[in-house]
Formats: sequence, C-alpha cells, structure tokens
Amino acid sequence: MKQIKLIFAAISCMSILSFGTAAAEDHTIGALFPLSGPNATYGDVFMSGSDLAVEHINADKMLSGPLSIAYEDSQGLPQPAVVGMTKLVNVTNVPYVLSAFTGVSKAISTLGNRNEVVAVNGGGVGPDLAALGEYFWNVIPLVNLEVRAVMPYLIKEQGIKRVVLIYIDDPFGNSILDELESTLESAGGELIETMSVPTTAQQFSGIAAKVRAAKPDAVYIASYGAQQIQIVKQLRDNGVDQQLITYSGYLVPDALALPESEGIIATGQGVNYNSEDPVTKRFVADYTAKYNRAPTAYNVNYYNATYLFALLAQALEAEGKEVTGANLLAKRKEIGTFDLVGGNVSFQENGTLLFPIQVKTIKNGKTEVLDTIDFGK
Amino acid sequence: MLALQLTITGLQTGALYALTAVGFSLIFGSTRIFHFAHGATFIIAAYLFYFVNVSGYGVVLGIAAATAGAIAFGLLLNRFVYVPIQRDEGSFFTVFVASFGIGIVIQNIVGMIFGRGFVTVQTPLSFSVELMDGLYVSPLAWISMLCAVVFFGILWCFLRYSNLGLSLRALADNPELVKAFGLNPRYISACAFTIGSILVVPAAIISGATSGLNPAMGHHVMLISLAATIVGGIGSVAGTLLAGLALGLAESLALLYVDSQWTEAVTFAILFLFIIVRPSGLLGRSAAH
Repeated sequence: MKQIKLIFAAISCMSILSFGTAAAEDHTIGALFPLSGPNATYGDVFMSGSDLAVEHINADKMLSGPLSIAYEDSQGLPQPAVVGMTKLVNVTNVPYVLSAFTGVSKAISTLGNRNEVVAVNGGGVGPDLAALGEYFWNVIPLVNLEVRAVMPYLIKEQGIKRVVLIYIDDPFGNSILDELESTLESAGGELIETMSVPTTAQQFSGIAAKVRAAKPDAVYIASYGAQQIQIVKQLRDNGVDQQLITYSGYLVPDALALPESEGIIATGQGVNYNSEDPVTKRFVADYTAKYNRAPTAYNVNYYNATYLFALLAQALEAEGKEVTGANLLAKRKEIGTFDLVGGNVSFQENGTLLFPIQVKTIKNGKTEVLDTIDFGK
Repeated sequence: MLALQLTITGLQTGALYALTAVGFSLIFGSTRIFHFAHGATFIIAAYLFYFVNVSGYGVVLGIAAATAGAIAFGLLLNRFVYVPIQRDEGSFFTVFVASFGIGIVIQNIVGMIFGRGFVTVQTPLSFSVELMDGLYVSPLAWISMLCAVVFFGILWCFLRYSNLGLSLRALADNPELVKAFGLNPRYISACAFTIGSILVVPAAIISGATSGLNPAMGHHVMLISLAATIVGGIGSVAGTLLAGLALGLAESLALLYVDSQWTEAVTFAILFLFIIVRPSGLLGRSAAH
C-alpha cells in the first residue's frame, strides 16, 4: 500500500511539474517534413532553415515564451502526412504547421481549413497549392511560374524547340505536364513525348532508350527526392546528351554534388543574399557559420515560414490576443507586408508570396544565374 | 533497334533482380525463414562498398568489406534473431515481423551513419558506349550478366555436386530426415544464410554504380525478390533465376507497348497471373496440403 501511495505521489508531482513547464506562453508549431524514405534528403534541408529561425526567435525573446517545433514524419507522402497532421491538430494543438510537397500539402489542407490551423508551404510547388483555402499559405513561388520563366528563355537563347518530359505520376508531375504543354505551345516549342514514372520506380535505362529514340532538343525532368537524381544519372549514363531542364526541387546538395548534374538548367526563386537588410544579413551569416555551407532557397523558405509565425504571434501578444490559427490569419491580412529573408515581401490575394524566378545552370557543383524573370513587374 | 536496346537493358536489370532474388529464394527454400531483412543485407553490402570506395581503399577492399558485412549480418541475424524465435516455437509470422523490424532498424542506422540522401558509386564503367547506331551498352551491363552467369554456375555446381549443397537441398525437403542422418540443421541453415548473403553482394555493388543508393531502397529490393521467388516457384533456385531475368526483361520491353508509368505494374501483373494460373511458379513443385 505504501508503495502504491509513493507511486501515486510521484505521478502527481510529475503532473504538477509538467503543467508548470507547459505554461500558456510557451509556443509550439508543427512541421510535416519527410524525415525517412527516399525523400528524407529534403527533411534535413528544410529543418536547417526552421531550426535556425527558432534559435533567432528565442535568442531575441520575440515571444513571451520559448518557441519549439513538433516535427512529424510525412515521408513526403499524403497518407502519413494526414496521420501526422491529425496528431498535430488534435493532440499537440498547434495553431500553425509547416508543410512541404504538393501531394502532402493538398492532403492536409482540408484538416487545416476545418480546424482553423494555418499550414505554410515552403517546399511544394504544384500550382494547385495557390487554391487550397485561406488557411493555406505559400512562402515559395509555384512551379507554373518556373516553367513560364525557363521555356521562353531556352527557346529564345538556345533555340530549343522539341522537348521530352519525364514526370512523376502524382499531382505535382501532372501539374508540370499541363503547364509545359500550354507554355511550349504559346512560346513556339513542342512537347514531342511525355513519359510518366511511378513514384517507386528506380530503373530508368529503358526510359533513356526511348528518350534517345525521340531525338529531342531537351529533356524536362519533373520528379523529386532520390528519384530525380537517379533519372539524371541514368539518362547521362545511357547516352542521353541533350540539354536537361528541371525545376527548383533539384537544387539540393545531393543533386548538386552529382557529376552528371553538370550543365543542367534549373529554375528557382530569386533571393538576394547580398541584401543589406538586417534579417537577410543575419540569416546568411548565421546559416553559413552553423552549417558550413551557403543557404539555398529551401532554407530561406522555412526560415521565413517560421519567422513569419513569430512576427504574427508577437503582434497578437502585444494586443493581448490569443495565438490561434484564425487570429494569425487575420493578423497576416492586417499587416500585409513583412521583413523576411530576401527583403520586404507581400502576400498575394491567394496567400502566396511572389518572388522573382531565376534561370540557373549547374557548374562545378554550384548554380550560376543566367537570367532573372520578375513576374511582379 | 529500340527493341534490341530494351532487351539488353532488360537483361541487365533482370540479372540484378535474379542475383538478389536467388539469395532470398535459397534462404527461404532451405530454412523456411521469411528473411525480409534480405533487403537490409543489400543495403549493408552496397553502403560498405560505397564507404570503402570513397575512402580511397579501392574496389577489391570494397568488395571484401561488402561481402564480409553481408555474411556477418546474415549469420548474426540467423543466430541471434531467427534461431531463438524458432527455438521457442515462434510462428512464421513472428519471424516475418522480426525480420521486417530489423530491416527498418538497419535502414535508419544506415541513414544515421551515411545520411538519408542519395549517394552513388562513381565509375567510368557505368557510362554507355555506342556499339552501333542507337544501341548503347555500358560495361556494367556486361559485368552484371557475367556475374549472374558465374555466380549461378558456381551455385548450381555447389548444390548439385557438393555434400553441403546436397544437405541444403535435403533441408529444404525434409528437416527431420536431415537430423536422422546425423546432420546439423543449424549449421546447414547458417550455410544457406552465408551463400544467400554473398549472392546479393554483386547486385548491391552494381546498383550503387548504375542507379545509386539511398537507405530506403531495401523495401523495393525485397519486393522484387519476393515477386521473382513466387513466379519462379518457392524453393526453386533455377526458377527464381529465370523469373528474375523474365521480370527485368518484361519491365524493360513493356516500354514498347505501354506507357512508362505501367512498366512496374507489369511485374506485378505477371506475379498475379502466376498466382492464378500456376501457383507453384515456373519450376516449383505442386503441393497439395
């Protein structure tokens, strides 16, 4: 009996202590990143941006209590993402979730809208992401702009007309197909063949043979994770020497390090890392010091997404309001523009930030900017 | 020309599938252990080769390390996981769950050590050479097919003519009779794990150079192995070899007739067809229980 009383007392003490530490001022936001599986390489990239933002926010004491991120593993797939989102919404009770990948974002957006939880995407680029409701925001320009930027440039500058598309068979890949068809038609090019690949496919030597047989001027690759790197490697290894074109999802360290990536044309959001504004200067200096490498757009996006929460929550706390999804949305609409990495930015009506698009080429494992297209002007 | 190109590509893919699948089939056929962690053996061998290679110790040491790692993993798993479960009369399902769990643990450990991203073994052997107009073949394609021929030749001779090979076949047929003849089933099981693990090494190394590696690819390897084992006939090494080659060829040649997104589905359509029409597989024996 004495032992039972001791155990009861211990549990009671722990409960009291845990209530004590979880004070109302503590802030937790959620994140649904791919932390395992073939897309896990993105998880590390995304987390390096969001974790640095948390360090800065807590060091500056921007909020009344410390901020932390509850990470859930989405594997880059809709089904595990919905499980993770359900947990974040119903158990962890977060008002704000960082999201990534088109399929994942579309799958969780309904839960976000229904429960008034803001979901912010900094990695998925499917054009559909601009229409997922008020509680779904994008801090990344979507891929329709990337395609609209690169194809006219290549047709004009390199005389590329005949294009083959290899795309992943999911909502993201299909959106690229639609966009490429319409952009090429209006720009004077031609989509001569399309080849979709299942998300689990790993062998592309047969696809390479079909690409060679089609004799295109260029090949557009629309996949992600390990698969897109496998496609590039196997195309090059199997005699496809045409110009390869891809989108911002390719610009991750694993892909840049691949020798076969040399000469690829890729698009990505334009971020002025040399900007003199204090937010950008601090981010670039601290990111480079902490991770010993230059930041990329994905690092910027998840830093910005996390920092945006702190700016909104700080404003709400100053007014004595509760930090809820509905209040965060109202405050975002009220403030309108924000000082984030890359400068002073504004959300469009559809909840998407507008950035310029850069056309880049990969040289010696690094990107070189060929042209910048600003759709906002 | 496209058909010839796809045939050679399919033979290369099929040779790798066969090498992977035969190891699984040999272990499963002899011991009746559903060694789902065979995909993890593939990952261990591939990453050990990659590590030794990028560390500058060369190909020979890389192959030695990959082989030693694969054998050690197979033997340790058999000794410390499968044997205790079987000793306690653990069911087939218990063994499967344990093996599945080990596969996930290995995937995560490899991810922690080598990173969760994509890595590749860089070699000039992976670059294709144009043999005639429109026909490109890489030296690794020939090496894959050569490995398959050599390894299966040795395996066939071993199973047919050596005492240990005969014991392995006997264990597959009747474990109780093996005991009655004074042979040690545990020793024979260990031999099955050793040989099965060795067979996966060439496929792991070549895959590292042709398609690259990531820690999560073990499940895909296992899926193909399982399909080849069922199509070939459970327990039939020769059947699994033929099935592996056939699946690789079918996956590649399907591009001539169907959209690229359906090529993987062809593998499983063949599997489904065999389950319906010929459940015992290509060379498996029909059994009525």
